[in-house]
Formats: sequence, C-alpha cells, structure tokens
Amino acid sequence: MIEKILATIFFPGAVFLLAVSLFYEWVDRKLYARFQNRVGPHLAGPFGLLQPVADFIKLLSKEDIVPMAADRLLFTLTPILASALTLFACMFLPIAGPTGIISFEGDLIVVIALLSIYTITVYLAGEGSNNRFASIGAERAALQLIGYEIPLTLSLLSAAIAAGSLSVGGIVEAQAERGLWLIVGPQSIGFAIFVISSQAEMKRIPFDIPEAEQEIVAGWEVEYGGRRLALFRLSKDLELILLSGLGAAIFLGGPIGPVIPGLEPMLYTIYFILKSLIVLAIFTLVRALFARLRIDQMEFFSWKYLMPLAVILIILTEVIL
Amino acid sequence: MSFEIPIGPQHPIHVEPLMLRLSVEGELIVDVDVDVSYIHRGIEKALEVRPYIQGLYLVERICGICNAAHSLCYCLNVEQLLGKEAPPRAKYLRIVVEELSRIHSHLLWLGHYFHTLGFETLFMYFWRDRERVMDMLELITGNRVTTAYNTIGGVRRDLTPEVEQKLRRTLDYIEERMRYYEKVIDSEPTILARTQGVGILKPSDAVRLGVVGPHLRASGIKHDVRLDDPYSGHDEIPFNVITWDTCDCYARVKVRVKEVHECVNMIRYALDHMPSGDYRLKIPPFFKAPPGESLSRVEAPRGELVHYSISDGSDRPYRYRVRTPTLANLLSVVEMLKSRDGYEVYIADVPAILGGIDPCICCSARVVVADEARRRRTVMTLDDIIRISRDRGVERR
Repeated sequence: MIEKILATIFFPGAVFLLAVSLFYEWVDRKLYARFQNRVGPHLAGPFGLLQPVADFIKLLSKEDIVPMAADRLLFTLTPILASALTLFACMFLPIAGPTGIISFEGDLIVVIALLSIYTITVYLAGEGSNNRFASIGAERAALQLIGYEIPLTLSLLSAAIAAGSLSVGGIVEAQAERGLWLIVGPQSIGFAIFVISSQAEMKRIPFDIPEAEQEIVAGWEVEYGGRRLALFRLSKDLELILLSGLGAAIFLGGPIGPVIPGLEPMLYTIYFILKSLIVLAIFTLVRALFARLRIDQMEFFSWKYLMPLAVILIILTEVIL
Repeated sequence: MSFEIPIGPQHPIHVEPLMLRLSVEGELIVDVDVDVSYIHRGIEKALEVRPYIQGLYLVERICGICNAAHSLCYCLNVEQLLGKEAPPRAKYLRIVVEELSRIHSHLLWLGHYFHTLGFETLFMYFWRDRERVMDMLELITGNRVTTAYNTIGGVRRDLTPEVEQKLRRTLDYIEERMRYYEKVIDSEPTILARTQGVGILKPSDAVRLGVVGPHLRASGIKHDVRLDDPYSGHDEIPFNVITWDTCDCYARVKVRVKEVHECVNMIRYALDHMPSGDYRLKIPPFFKAPPGESLSRVEAPRGELVHYSISDGSDRPYRYRVRTPTLANLLSVVEMLKSRDGYEVYIADVPAILGGIDPCICCSARVVVADEARRRRTVMTLDDIIRISRDRGVERR
C-alpha cells in the first residue's frame, strides 16, 4: 500500500511526470525551432533545458486577475481540473513496468474518457471567462471535439481489438508476446489516424483552431494569466506526454525492449521515454508542416476522410483476426 | 442574432492600430466597419513647414517598408517642380534599389501572410531569406531599412563593382528560393484550402472601388504605373506585368511570388545595361522652387503611390498631399469581408483577407470623429479641424 502511494507521488507518479512533461515541452519547442531554422530556447540552463521551468515559475509569480465579468467558480476550477485530469490520465501510462500505476481491464476507455473531459474543461474555461474571443474559441473547441473524438477512439480501439485486450497494460503485453509492435501491419493506419487526431486533441497546428492567435487572439485561454495560465500550460505539457506515451505504448510496444538482466526497472523507463520521444518528434514534425485549417474544413476532413478510414480499419482488424 | 467582435485596434495579426468591427452570426461575418483613425501623424502638415531637403527625410518615414518608393516619389515630384531630370545612371540605380525593396517588401508580406494563416515554418523561411535582401540594401545604400538612397537630382552613392558581384549572387539565391517556395505554395493542401476561393474581389468591383497594385493585378486587371507611366526609365527595361484571374487570396500570393521573379530580372537587366556618367545632379541643399504644382506617381510594393504638391515660390511646399496604396485598398476589404448569397466569409478568413491587401495603416490614417452617444462617425475636413481648434482656443481664453 505504502509502496503504491509513494509510486503515485514520486516515481513514476506526479513528481516524475511533472519533470518529464517540462522536458517534453523543451524537446517540442527545440525541435520545432530547428525545423524552422531557428535556435529555439537556449538561455536558461544547458541547451535551454530549464526554459519551460523558468516560464512556469515566471507565470506563477505574476499577478492573479479575475475579470469582473467572469464566472469566478469556473475561472478558478477549470485550470485545476485541467491539470489534475491530465495528470490522472498519465497514471495509466506504463512507464516503470509493463502496466501503469493504475491498471485494470478496460482502462483504455477511461483514458479516452479523460481526454474528452479535458476538452469539455477547455470549453467551460472559455465560456466561463465571458470574453468574446474566449467564447468563440470555446465553441470551436467543442466543435472540434465532434470531429476528432470518434477517429481517435476508433484508432485506439482497433489496436485493442488486434491485441485482444482493452487495457493499456494488456496491449503492451500482447505486443511483447507477439514479438512485433502493433504499428507493423494494418495498425500503421491506426497510428496515422492517432497522430492526426492527437494533434487536434492537443490543439496544435494544423488544428489549433480554438486558440488561433491571428484570428481570435488566444481563443479560449485569452483571459487567463498568472498561475491559472501556468496550470493550463502544465496541463498541455502533461497532455503531450500522455498522448505521445499512449502512442508509444499502444503502437510501439511501450516499455518492452531487449533486456539486460538486473537492469529491468530502469530499462522500462528508458525504453518508454525513447519511444514516446519518437512519437513526440512526429507530432512536432506535423506541427511544422502545415497551415491552420478553418473549422469547417477540419470537420469536413475528419468526417469525410478520417472517420471512414477508422471504420475500415476496424473492419480490417476484425477480418484479419 | 449577431454578435460583435472587435478585431483591433490592438490585435496579434497587426502591429498597427486598425479597427474592424465585425458582426458575426456563428462563424459567418455579416457586416463589417473599418476604422483607421488611430494613428494620425500630421505628416502632410509637417512637410509644409520644412525646406524641401528636410522633407525628403520626413517623407521616407511615412512608411518603413515602402520608404524607397516614398522618397523616389518625393524626389520625382520636386525635380518636376524644378524642371530638372535625374541623369540616366541615377535612374537605373533608382530602379535597382526600388526593385530590391520591392523584393524585400514582397518577401516580408509573404512571410507575414503565411504567419496569419498559421503556417509558422514558412514565415520563418521567408524572413530568413529576406535578411539576405536587407544585407544587400545595406551594402548598396548604407542603411538596412530606411535606405535614404534617393535624393533630389539623383541618388546618394554609386554602385561599386564588388557590391554588384554580391548583388548578383544574392539575386541567384533569391530566384532559386522563390522557385522552391512556389512549388510549396502550389502543392501544400492546407495553404490551398485556406486561400483558394477566399476573399473574392471581382474585376468590376476592383475597378469600382479604386483598388491598386498587386491587389488589383490579382483581380486580373493589367495595371502598373511602371508600365502606364514610366517614371524612372522603366520604358527602357523590359518586364512583364503579372496578373492572375482567380481573384482570390491565392491569386494575391501568386502575383507577389511571380513579381519577385520579375524584380530579379529587372535588376539583372539594369545591372547589365547600366549607363555610365554622373549619378546625381549638383543641386544646392536649400533652394526655392518656382511656383506651380506637380504630381508624381510611383508603383510602390503595395500599389500606386501618389504625391501631389503646390509650390508658392518659397523654399517649402505650400501644400503637400500623399495618397498611399493602402487607403485605396481598404475599401475593398469591406466588400470582401461581407457574406452574401453563395459567398461565405468565416472569422478565420479575416486575417487571410485583410492580410491580402498588404495593409500599412500608419500611412493611411485620417481624422474621424466618433460620437458614441449618437453612434455616429464623420470624417472631418481640414477646415473643420482648423475651425474647431480656433473655437477651443477662444473658449480657453
């Protein structure tokens, strides 16, 4: 019991996840900058590694403002809820072993549900701040959810069908038994759908429609500042590790790899981080390659191409089994 | 129910204060109201109280990006008043700098335009390449942004053979990069989705609203001051006027990309056929212009730029008037932003459409009086302002 509590708080729980999520933000920013022929963060710490930490601390020290027109309860609750939700969802990731801290049959469904609730939180955050730009951004976020949620779920479910298990740990073990990653074979389509819809889930280019800077300033988060914004940014970083970790666990075999006897617990973490960094690099590459779509084009794209593809994939997976 | 969204006067798509009051229904725009009167600087008045040579430095600061066009237009205007003409070598050198700054302006616009579409990578690439052009401008003129190259009666310095070599190399580089960008723009699906069929301005509307420059050429109308009214030896240099007939934002991108190629060719031709001789006339710094009036036109990167002056025989203009291309193009924004039957404009299209005219608000400000209580706005004339200021003065006394 005490072991479980310590694992939740320290490794591979909250403290570890927070540290790694800030590191992932650095990787994302640095790679994005290099793709654009820029230097990227390079001042705080070696190679600018501490830049996300510095940004976080700076935001925490800023003045805390609640607009008069805003709904005080929602304005306070949503940043906490957003970061708590994503942190909780990260507990399902198999970081220090073939299963996560929390693991049961069907936990994949819980992770998917948490991802959707996160977007609902974003919607509430936008509407709760009672700003013109924020409510447009919030509406866009909710509209976008309709577009990407089903393809995302279907791509994960087809992997679950192929592995014969509905839990993240089960899928990892099935891949270990099979000796092949799920991405080899028809699930590569699933991985592509997963990458595209994750990009929408994280509200990054080409689907950064809810927070399009050039159109609606910062969209749903326009009124947030100081520690509230810091928490939202933290939740975005945690989402980064959650989705890249989920991609690594479900399509790239998770923490399983060649084993050196005696070093297994450490190797699990190393393999997990390496594989999720590969997924993160793909996310960043996609972000660097496109212009922002319009909301109607995004819906059109996901319902006309992504959805049918996901359904075909499910059928294909069933037939092969 | 419609909902009002203010784009401006402070908004991330613009570094300059421009106000667009959008009435939206959902994501569709139904009505729009433009206000540019946040940055009136009184430059025309300031020109009237300075000798001609000082006006040259002031006029360059009307707009940082089209400074070469403004100073050229001013010099042509004053030379016309004096009845003098720049020597042939100066004309060619003026073309070199003018076209180089057109390349710089178009690259800046292209980068910023893709930034407004959310394509940050292309933005960084364009601005990196623009830096090479800026370096060339600095080598030729001595200044990076405000070039201060044109002067009354010619240009300030000559082009040395070493600089010419470097300029040719830069032109090769720019040409090669532009070919690559053209390929990217034509093949990238998200760019095509965001620009094609967006912000359509029919040729008839464009003419009716007095649109100028690349914006007009993107509506398929062949109009270019360099062709219609060659002002600096443009009749000796062959070039094509680029037009595109899809009349949308995609056409605006294509016209500017292709114009960069034309600029490169024009500079190469000018360098190859550079006349020898003086590069400036000897004109004393302080002089009196004979009474009369003069009008000069220049094709600035953003479109037709008009300067008009009246001289009363003294050492400073009696009246100086500047008509910048953005002021001519702003009306068309209102036309393009309104949704009509079968033509839908989304909030997401606002940056694409507004960016399409290459707006430069600081050149365009006019005095507008807003009466919030009666919800009425009126444009004031110079006489009105003088009358009001005198009345106020009386009250205070």
